[in-house]
Amino acid sequence: MSMFRAKKLDLGCFINIKTIRDHSKRKAFAQHEPERQALRYIIRNTTLPARTRAEAQLQLTRMHCYTRPTQIRGRCLLGGKGRGILRDFKMSRYNFRMQALEGNIPGVQKASW
Amino acid sequence: MAAVPRARLLDLMKVQCQIFSTTYNPDGIRTGNKILRQRLRGPTLAKYYPPRGPTINTLEKEFKPWNLETINEQEEDRQEHLAGVRSRGKGAPKKKRTAPAATDKKR
Repeated sequence: MSMFRAKKLDLGCFINIKTIRDHSKRKAFAQHEPERQALRYIIRNTTLPARTRAEAQLQLTRMHCYTRPTQIRGRCLLGGKGRGILRDFKMSRYNFRMQALEGNIPGVQKASW
Repeated sequence: MAAVPRARLLDLMKVQCQIFSTTYNPDGIRTGNKILRQRLRGPTLAKYYPPRGPTINTLEKEFKPWNLETINEQEEDRQEHLAGVRSRGKGAPKKKRTAPAATDKKR
């Protein structure tokens, strides 16, 4: 959603709408995380009255979907791809292979025995 | 094993909790404290993509107050190209200041 998007482009990697979207989702989640955790705490706390907990549940489900951590997806920094990402290198498998063969990733070399 | 009454065990537990400053919760009631113990993941998640580095244009803007000159080859090329195009009369038209006159499309 455009309301979560930064007014000025603040990404230094490969840019397409999917990476911009994912970035704004990440920022929205970081901003609303304390609120979400507080609601989650109220919901899990069985010593609180049932009505409060039900209200917290409703409030949590009413929050914007961009503030959910499950919306966040790892994306390739070099191509913006969303599948086949090596999380340690933040790269898709093909880009990782190319970079590794070129020797751009320290400590990675092709296995051979 | 000698049977120890439950009350005594609970007392022991209470004292243990006092000493080690933990919550005394003999019935195992869910208080949701595990949510409070979790660390916030937001800052690390938000740092996934690298921030935008400085470009020549931003550097130019930064250095302007100190009267430092920057060489912006791309911008120079663009200005050169524009000058060439304009000299041949092929440049883009000037932006209109007034709203275009309404054209009736009725047939």
